[in-house]
Amino acid sequence: MIGFLKGLSVTLRQLPKKKVTLQYPDVKPEWPERFRGVHRFIPELCIACNQCARICPTSCISLSGERDENKKMKIHTFDINFDICILCDLCTEVCPTEAVLMSDTFEMAKYSRDDLYLDMHWLHDNQLKYEQAHPDRFERARGEAD
Amino acid sequence: MSLIDEKDQVRTEEMLLNLGPQHPSTHGVLRLLVKINGETITDVEPVIGYLHRGTEKLAEDLQYTQIIPYTDRLDYLAAMLNNYALCHTIEQAMDLEVPERAEYLRVIVMEMQRVASHLMFIGAYLLDLGAMSPFLYVFADREQIVQLFNEICGARLTYNYMRVGGVKWDAPPGWLEKVADFVQYLKQKFHMYDELITGNEIFLARTRGIGRFDTETALAYGLSGINLRSTGYPWDLRRKKPYSIYDRFDFDIPVGQNGDCFDRYYLHLLEIKESLRIVEQALKSIPSSGPVLGKVPKMIRVPAGEYYSGIEGARGELGFYIVSEGKDKPYRLKIRKPSFINLQLLPELLRGQSIANVIAILGAVDIVLGEVDA
Amino acid sequence: MWDWRSQPLTVPSVIAMLIGAVVILLLALGVVTYTIYVQRRILGWMQLRIGPNRVGPLGLFQTIADVLKLLIKEDVVPAKADRALFMLAPIIAFVPSFTVMAVIPFSAHNVFTANLGIGVLFYLALSAITIHGVMLAGWASNNKYALIGGMRSAAQMLSYEIPLGLSLVGVVLMAGSLNLNDIVLAQQHAGLWNVIPQILGFIVFLIASTAELNRTPFDLPEAESELVAGYHVEYTGFRFAFFMLTEYMYLFAMAGLCATLFLGGWSGPLLPGWLWFAIKVFLYIFFQFWLQATLPRFRVDQLMTFSWKVLLPLALVNLVLTGVVKAIW
Ligand code: SF4
Ligand code: SF4
Repeated sequence: MIGFLKGLSVTLRQLPKKKVTLQYPDVKPEWPERFRGVHRFIPELCIACNQCARICPTSCISLSGERDENKKMKIHTFDINFDICILCDLCTEVCPTEAVLMSDTFEMAKYSRDDLYLDMHWLHDNQLKYEQAHPDRFERARGEAD
Repeated sequence: MSLIDEKDQVRTEEMLLNLGPQHPSTHGVLRLLVKINGETITDVEPVIGYLHRGTEKLAEDLQYTQIIPYTDRLDYLAAMLNNYALCHTIEQAMDLEVPERAEYLRVIVMEMQRVASHLMFIGAYLLDLGAMSPFLYVFADREQIVQLFNEICGARLTYNYMRVGGVKWDAPPGWLEKVADFVQYLKQKFHMYDELITGNEIFLARTRGIGRFDTETALAYGLSGINLRSTGYPWDLRRKKPYSIYDRFDFDIPVGQNGDCFDRYYLHLLEIKESLRIVEQALKSIPSSGPVLGKVPKMIRVPAGEYYSGIEGARGELGFYIVSEGKDKPYRLKIRKPSFINLQLLPELLRGQSIANVIAILGAVDIVLGEVDA
Repeated sequence: MWDWRSQPLTVPSVIAMLIGAVVILLLALGVVTYTIYVQRRILGWMQLRIGPNRVGPLGLFQTIADVLKLLIKEDVVPAKADRALFMLAPIIAFVPSFTVMAVIPFSAHNVFTANLGIGVLFYLALSAITIHGVMLAGWASNNKYALIGGMRSAAQMLSYEIPLGLSLVGVVLMAGSLNLNDIVLAQQHAGLWNVIPQILGFIVFLIASTAELNRTPFDLPEAESELVAGYHVEYTGFRFAFFMLTEYMYLFAMAGLCATLFLGGWSGPLLPGWLWFAIKVFLYIFFQFWLQATLPRFRVDQLMTFSWKVLLPLALVNLVLTGVVKAIW
């Protein structure tokens, strides 16, 4: 008989405790720096080496490059089929120039699969958004580079 | 039509009850075809495969590193352990050295993962038995572990943290201290779970002596992990076949006495304590710096041959069996999935039981459908 | 005191009765609405959550929104169901739950309360009718889960009816009347609430009433983790709403009964009668939610054994003790 009374006292003690609910659409979660959200992409850095496309376990990256005036490889198209991306982060791990990176965009509910086909512009916009949201992280990176 | 047959007995009919695949307490998409005669179960047939993704087949077409994110999705409550099991097998096959700090980080995240998984078991089991609050309490605690993992590897569920020869990232600054704080916090929490659940008479009445099996049966069915230990057989791969650096830590292997549902529940709680002990020791002795990824060839090629190694997963022995032809992809990958093996015992356990016990027994067998169906 | 029985049955008195019924209906609906809100809040707080806080200030309109949602939903009658019974069942379940409100004395000047001489019996008899509704719902749905749920709840409610009834007899003996008003008056007169002399009866009543209401830990009929939702698994829209309404109506009624029989009803110092009544009702309801937040569910056979082997003897012991004490005094 005592056991269940103890249980009652446990639940009663929780009553005034601080609640853990995050009021989600009003309060956004704070993601750590390593958080793996949707990709961001910096076209200027990419050398179209195709490594990311090759490592991707679901083959969801497709890209094409072209040579510019200086015979350097430049990225022409870069698409991620986010429909099948499993956010494993392997593409950013192999990228030699850190042209493709993970952001903390995570709200990707869409009405159509077509909206999940992310092209270079979308990904670059995402990069700009990320830069805006976390100026401190870029400051720090720049500081380390200097 | 008469309900009374010649022998003056009430005619009864077997009823076929379909539990799942969309049922609140089949832990995912398991389907049970239950034949009942009155309240007694005469036969059970689990129907699996609703979550089948063909991981083993897919792996034949993937480089070894690429398989790691797929293992995250087997037992999604214990992704770190799956990661490790695969990497460990490959490392064994290739005779790779793993740096000290990486091993410590692996042990810390693995034991934390075990804690998270066991907490989840407790919550889900109590939810099956009709108590709602423990589920939310364990979620609040598990959330902290998930957040810690999120900080170290950037994901909350599918971590993809381990690599062949080490781990992907070193711990961020201050992370180890946070883990230490969490361990202290969770230790304080135990008496709450004990008071709320372990001592509750209704809980005891529903789990004591229910779903019993003995060591012989367990061994015959190839059970491992808590299901085997609950019968009093102290079999824990961390002790019996030490892998990683488990031989350096001091911890106990709690065993049950009766092999019933209550023992299985209680062992989960006790194992959380042991895991926390390991984490504490690891935090004390972890080297303060060093590489976290060993010297690994650029292209991972497992030498031709067949390799198996198993680790103590959250639900039993989790093993990967690799047949290699010396290429960068396995010829065949077979996963020893503890949940799948645990499930085999279910029909045996349920036969002859009352229908009211189905949920209590099913919950305690501890399966994760992502792993059963792979 | 406004006595219904002494009035001749004239047009004005019939109209007055109708108005009384409507007022009580509205009151009960309001109480039910906010009981559900309070339930979700309390459960939330006990589970480290916040509870509803989106619709209206502090989420106060959440239940109203939910009810509206239920009302505008499609009314699905399964093709294989027994149509007539399927539609009838919610009504059979609901009507008695509202009718029992008639005998609960809400305040000292019990406006709109039938001053029935057999109040206690009336309550027990009517609440037994609801079982038929529940059982028919399970049967008519033609669904195995609903059938098991319906049967379980019929068995459960019937077997707990007995200890419940017996636990009330002690109180009735003390007051020497079945009239709920008289029972309150007797407690006021004695200056002592029945909960103290009748502590055993009170405990039996608490447990049996929880089972009678199908609330945790006795919520087997609708055990969502076993039977999905039990007898109302096939019901949608406003028919489903009727079952929910029945459930919470009984919660209110049972709280009223508990307050009246054991906690002195509307009597109490200083505060007005209706406020005392409201406080006591709230205490009972809070206790139910508190249990819900804490306990796992009984197993169906344990539940039966518990009723027949523990509660019934306890209730009988209480009855005998009360009788003996009463006879000696
Ligand atoms: S995160 Fe993984 S799945 Fe997604 S694009 Fe990169 S490599 Fe491919
Ligand atoms: S994103 Fe990186 S890995 Fe991919 S093609 Fe460009 S430079 Fe190469």
